Amino acid sequence: MTQSSPRQEFIAGCRDISPVLLGSIPFGFVAGIAAVSAGMSALEGIALSVLAFSGIAQLVVSQLVAANSPFLVTVAAAFVVSLRLMMYSAALSPHLAHLDRRWRILLSFLMTDQSFAMTVKRFNEATDRAYVHWHFLGSATTLYLSWQAAVAFGVLAGASVPATWSLDFAVVLTFLALLVPAVRTRADLAAACVAGLVVLIAAGLPYRLALVVASIAGIAAGMAIELTRRR
Amino acid sequence: MSIWLLILSVAAVTFLLRASFIVFANPQRFPHAFRQALTFVPPAVLAAIVVPGLVMPEGVLDVSLANPRWIAGLVAIAAATRLRHPLAPIAVGLPLLWCLQWAMR
Repeated sequence: MTQSSPRQEFIAGCRDISPVLLGSIPFGFVAGIAAVSAGMSALEGIALSVLAFSGIAQLVVSQLVAANSPFLVTVAAAFVVSLRLMMYSAALSPHLAHLDRRWRILLSFLMTDQSFAMTVKRFNEATDRAYVHWHFLGSATTLYLSWQAAVAFGVLAGASVPATWSLDFAVVLTFLALLVPAVRTRADLAAACVAGLVVLIAAGLPYRLALVVASIAGIAAGMAIELTRRR
Repeated sequence: MSIWLLILSVAAVTFLLRASFIVFANPQRFPHAFRQALTFVPPAVLAAIVVPGLVMPEGVLDVSLANPRWIAGLVAIAAATRLRHPLAPIAVGLPLLWCLQWAMR
């Protein structure tokens, strides 16, 4: 690759993320339906999406609002499901450290599972990395705008979609598409298997606490394998 | 009113987690064990989200043939492992689920 410009990188980012939209658009639609089904107004559902921009956090909040969960339990659940964003932040920060604060705030706000994966790939593949943050901005903006449109459509038109379309399964598949490449080592596999098993055992716990308990158990299992391997 | 407080709190939580290292901190300054634990967050959290969606569609464990989701999910995992394309699970899994649902009617 020869010297690229910010504009070329931005457009490449928009283009590279486009296949992912086939998964994220039905997901956004489902998140919009979930918000209004939970009793939020159209404005509240759209505001949650515009401000939090996280499909799984939006879904979890909607489920807990529907169940009349206490405020702190709902915020804590959103925190736990969003912890992976912290891991992405740690992984990307060395690449973005040279940018000024406004850039870093903007890119942080727009970062999602998909644009993170896309950007890491770009940083690994590009020979000229001077403008990779423009690639990140292109993919993240495309995802943001299409996501908000899908959520708004779900909020406004959602109730009329027949359940037989099983659009909620698109959500599971979107996360499955992220899970499979996230499992690279035996320790990762242990973390995923233990979390998957514990979430089933703990399914009876209230307020989706099973998700929290299972995540912690999975992380502990990964750490345990990592420690025994090093001895 | 409290719903707006909730929306703003969730927005703050998601932003602060995203910005944690990019804006506020240098990950090199944190203990190795902490950074190690962070690397297991995606496989653990994502598995904890995906697994119930496949085997507990109605909130109770169902791995019988009456539940097509775990079958479609296993095929989607195989597709993701083989094809290594971000679209593979959804392009394979959702149409397969529709076919299985149609066949079971």
